[in-house]
Amino acid sequence: MATIVERDRQLAPMDSWEIPRSKPWYQKLARLAADNPVGAVSFVIVVLFAVVGVFGASIAPYNPKELDASSQYLGPSSVHLFGTDKFGHDVFSRVLTGAQIDLKFGVIVMLFGFVPGVVLGVISGYARGWVDYVIQRSAEAWTAFPPLFLLLTFVSAFGPGLKTVEMVVAIGALFSGSRLLRAVALIEKQKEYVISARSTGATETRLLLRHVVPNIMPFILVGFSSVFAVAVLLEATLSFLGLGVAPGTPSWGADLAFNADNQGTKYPFLVLFPGLAISLVVLAFNLLGDTLRDVLDPRLRGSTGARK
Amino acid sequence: MLRYTLRRLSFLPIILLAVSIITFVLLRVLPTEDFADVIGGSNATPEQKDAIRDKYGLRDPVFPVTVSGECERVVWYVPKCSLDGPVLALHPHSQYGSWLIHALRGDFGTTFNNNADVRHEFIRRFPASFELVFLSLGFSVVFGISFGILSAMYRNSPIDYGVRIFAVLGTSIPEFFLLTLLIVIPSYLWNYAQPSGGYIPVYDDPMHNLRLFLPPALIVGIAGSSGLMRLVRTTMLEVLRSDYVRTARAKGLRGRTVILSHALRNASTPILTAIGTAFIAVFGGSLVAERILSIQGNGLFFFTSTLSRDLPVIQFLAVYTAAVVVIVNLVVDLSYAWADPRVTYS
Repeated sequence: MATIVERDRQLAPMDSWEIPRSKPWYQKLARLAADNPVGAVSFVIVVLFAVVGVFGASIAPYNPKELDASSQYLGPSSVHLFGTDKFGHDVFSRVLTGAQIDLKFGVIVMLFGFVPGVVLGVISGYARGWVDYVIQRSAEAWTAFPPLFLLLTFVSAFGPGLKTVEMVVAIGALFSGSRLLRAVALIEKQKEYVISARSTGATETRLLLRHVVPNIMPFILVGFSSVFAVAVLLEATLSFLGLGVAPGTPSWGADLAFNADNQGTKYPFLVLFPGLAISLVVLAFNLLGDTLRDVLDPRLRGSTGARK
Repeated sequence: MLRYTLRRLSFLPIILLAVSIITFVLLRVLPTEDFADVIGGSNATPEQKDAIRDKYGLRDPVFPVTVSGECERVVWYVPKCSLDGPVLALHPHSQYGSWLIHALRGDFGTTFNNNADVRHEFIRRFPASFELVFLSLGFSVVFGISFGILSAMYRNSPIDYGVRIFAVLGTSIPEFFLLTLLIVIPSYLWNYAQPSGGYIPVYDDPMHNLRLFLPPALIVGIAGSSGLMRLVRTTMLEVLRSDYVRTARAKGLRGRTVILSHALRNASTPILTAIGTAFIAVFGGSLVAERILSIQGNGLFFFTSTLSRDLPVIQFLAVYTAAVVVIVNLVVDLSYAWADPRVTYS
């Protein structure tokens, strides 16, 4: 045995016994971005969306609600990047401020829907029993219906407005979060690391928080990204149908509907820009979710067949 | 098989009953406003409102059974009730009771809006919705399955990349945007107006009917096919790797036979599930299409009734939607056995 160790030493002489330093985080990030260009671009779009959602109103070149009868229906130009609509509103400024509604909506849905859903899902997958049964059956019943019909029924009960839409979409996010994480927790709790941690005397709470939750973090992030995409899409649809934001509020869905009704066939760019904004943001969240799944959890690679 | 079908069908009335009770709670118990105002309009006189309340039975309790007894809240979530006298009170005349009795006879009341028979209005609008939903579903299934198979057969080829890009775009671009573009773009570029409104049966004027339904059905169907396409691709990729597909190839069978009767048949169970999901998606998507093109179907009926808070219509359509969802799920479950002989129900 000793001879083998000596021979190895001769083959690979080592200056020091230090473990090679890991690369700094920005190099790792650059490597990750170079490996996943689509994911990197969609991440940049998501960050841009968040920034515009917070600061959009202050960086907008014009007041999005200001009436200007002298500048009706101007085409895209250097003065008005996306042109102006029937009331002379600058469409570019309205698109920038419109991000605010969607960001706020998405964050509310995530906080009050998805996050409790994740907690509920992990608990119900981990503990099972009748609680699990009740949650899962109600989730199945809820997701069996087309979301638009559920939204309309709730709108007729509580009246139109963002509050109602937020409530219904949050319930949907709660159920989809709980279903996703329940399935993950069911698989995870059978794993060997859980059993070995338990055998060393870890309490159930510690086991859940220190061992299980970090291991299922990738699934939570993937779910977060795709549920956010659905939330933005539903808000836009409901505002388009006139059941979401109050009339006049800059919102991508409502602006698209308004512009289509007012000379949309003559000035298609009025319809195009808000529509592209919605599509781009939803696309970025979807692609980011797919990339996260590929990067964070290689086991799932190709399981939905989206990419790679 | 027959017993299984009957057992599943026996759940249908229970589910519909539950859905009707839930919608009554949602629509009649929770809202705080006075429906006499909603129906009569803001300038109705008190006498007119009283007449409306009498006519629609709005003075009656909502449910035939109510819990009586004085309650006070000890903590905000713990009510403490004094249980003197009868706890449960029965009401011979209640809103839900009379709705249920009439509904069982097939009478779903009259609309608040213009006093029309709900069932009659529904039947009148049914053909338009039916045509739109089934055309869209047809496109969805044909497009999703064929391109899903192609993408799996030629993995990592341009077709495969195209399908994958399409699948992501299809879930991201909202339907209402595409449908608005359907009106806007042809009109702007070629001065062609997509017809909207009015329903003309296909046997009266096939050309007009086609011009009205084909473009929106293509958009709703193809946009809705992305989920199906992804799923067909993944399951086919798995199946194509299996031993029996290799055996079938080794026997010298034609490629088409291998793909269609060996591989696709074995991948049928998840694909049928996805077709059921696609149906529900198209069912919802047709509502948006009906709204944008003002096609007089039940989706638009639901939408306008929501705006005017036309409770009898919403109650009926909620129960109808539940019935559609349950029956579609049953048909999907039964079709597993038809597509895959290994599946048996007992």
